[in-house]
Amino acid sequence: MKNRGQNVFIATFLGPPLLLYAVFVLLPAVNAFRYSLTRWDGLGPATWVGLANFRAIVASGSEFLPAIGHNLFLTFVPGVGILSLALFFAYSIHQRIRGGRLYRVAFFFPNVISGVAVALLWVLIYSTSDVGLLNGLLKLMGHKQPIPFTESGRLLWAIVPMSIWSATGFFMVLFLAAMENIPETYYEAAKLDGASSAVQFRTITLPLMWDVLTTGIVFLVVGGLKFFDAVYVMENGRPSGSTHTMSTLMYSKVFQEYNVGYGTAISVMLFLLVLAATAASLRLMRRERLEY
Amino acid sequence: MARHGGPGSGASLSARVASGARWLFLTAYLVAVVFPMCWVFYTSAKTTQQIYKSPFGLPKVVTSPSRANAEPLVRNYRKAWTGSHFGQYFVNSLIVVSVSLVGVVLLGSMAAYVLARFEFRGRNVAYSLFLCGLLIPMQLVLIPLFFQFSDMGEGLTRLLGPPARALGLGNLTISLHDSHAGLILIYIAFSLAFTVFTLTSFFRTLPGELREAAMIDGAGEYRIFFSVMMPLGKPGIVTIAIFNFLGLWNEYLFGLVFLSSDKLKTLPLGLASISMQAQYKSDFGLLFAALVISMAPTILVYIILQEKLTRGITVGALKG
Repeated sequence: MKNRGQNVFIATFLGPPLLLYAVFVLLPAVNAFRYSLTRWDGLGPATWVGLANFRAIVASGSEFLPAIGHNLFLTFVPGVGILSLALFFAYSIHQRIRGGRLYRVAFFFPNVISGVAVALLWVLIYSTSDVGLLNGLLKLMGHKQPIPFTESGRLLWAIVPMSIWSATGFFMVLFLAAMENIPETYYEAAKLDGASSAVQFRTITLPLMWDVLTTGIVFLVVGGLKFFDAVYVMENGRPSGSTHTMSTLMYSKVFQEYNVGYGTAISVMLFLLVLAATAASLRLMRRERLEY
Repeated sequence: MARHGGPGSGASLSARVASGARWLFLTAYLVAVVFPMCWVFYTSAKTTQQIYKSPFGLPKVVTSPSRANAEPLVRNYRKAWTGSHFGQYFVNSLIVVSVSLVGVVLLGSMAAYVLARFEFRGRNVAYSLFLCGLLIPMQLVLIPLFFQFSDMGEGLTRLLGPPARALGLGNLTISLHDSHAGLILIYIAFSLAFTVFTLTSFFRTLPGELREAAMIDGAGEYRIFFSVMMPLGKPGIVTIAIFNFLGLWNEYLFGLVFLSSDKLKTLPLGLASISMQAQYKSDFGLLFAALVISMAPTILVYIILQEKLTRGITVGALKG
């Protein structure tokens, strides 16, 4: 009797969330694979085309390959800056420098602002009109002509400082937490041996926070692969071939060109890349894991 | 507290130069992070002409506060709030995000509690299904969901229509397209994976004796959950709620695909649409005010709950 009551309880508590999740996440995720094997305009009947969409997106001259390139650019170019700055800030704050709390609280700030707001803020910073903070600064330094930072040819580079600005704080907090978790005694022993701050960082801090560093890299790569908001907004909803990311290309194929099968094939590729990146990082993490 | 290698531990000249350089760099970065945000806030109190004339100067309302000098500020915000419908967008965001938040916290903790605390057949399958969700990008579900929505709406109408008629609620038609209800369901479902994953590990850490004690006192499972476990789980639930709040308040892509009428748009959608339309591109007073309206709530939440938020990242990182 008691057992049946418990089963009813489990069913009423697990059933609704699981059902909602299955219908709105799992089912469409599985359907995406089906869609990606068809040619469909979203209205009429769909035609089964096998792997034709996948062949088309990886064929030479397709827009998809440059789009992956843009995603990789937007992952790794800002990524190097984000990781090194975040490590540097976290290590500095960890060493109890004066004002550490202020830095920690302030540097995280941009992370709570929406991607769209960050994009608009940087459109204003980069503006070629008199409002533009950066061009204003360049003018003060004697530069005559304002530089159109956000035009298509330059946009990806313009997004680099923006990404660093908005993401570094998050990774700093993540890394700082890992550093605070390392027992102080290791550092004391190293100091007795006369190891400098830089040596301590390389031989103690970095190896002992390897797990969290790898987690950070996974977040960074997955975020870079999914990149959408800033490119879409800064290109006024119509990114060009030189700025499309996988997500903006997917969006424009499906909702602007009504090429549903092709667009879904892009989303399937995106998913496979996310999966591969995560799996690769997890492997790396297991191999290098240090127990302490 | 032991220190290692901080300023003062070895006061050689090169160490002092290094720590001075570091201080300089940190301060420069601090300015780079904080100044643009201050700039947005104070520029929203200037007219577009004033912005053109002196783009970086402080507004008159700050330099010499008076009712007349506050005029541009009031005008910009009125223009954004009523003229460009940011008041409406704000309310929409508030509705969509708060309902989603209640839903995801309630459903997420229910599932997490059961998965963390009970042994039953299929538990591992259910848990793994939620784990899968951590790897599914929204881009993958977006398109099929968009095209299934009309079928789902019809299905729900057929399912819920008769009981609603029987209860005397009249004819019920459910349409998930271009509706807050549809977006809320997606938001809840999509936030569940992360929420269930985090809360399951959190509920595992809670002491089991309390449940047994409550059972001896004659409390049923439901009572135990709502009056013992939920209150005990509050720290974890609060953290996950903050994360979901930030994520959902700032969400753009789902909103872009599923909401099309202007009167339903959330703040990121409204902000994106004025920043992409040529007619607003040089209406700087409006753009800055709209930006402040969109950013202020999350900044406020961060200022108030910043300790809880960063601690959440800490716990999540070290567990996950």
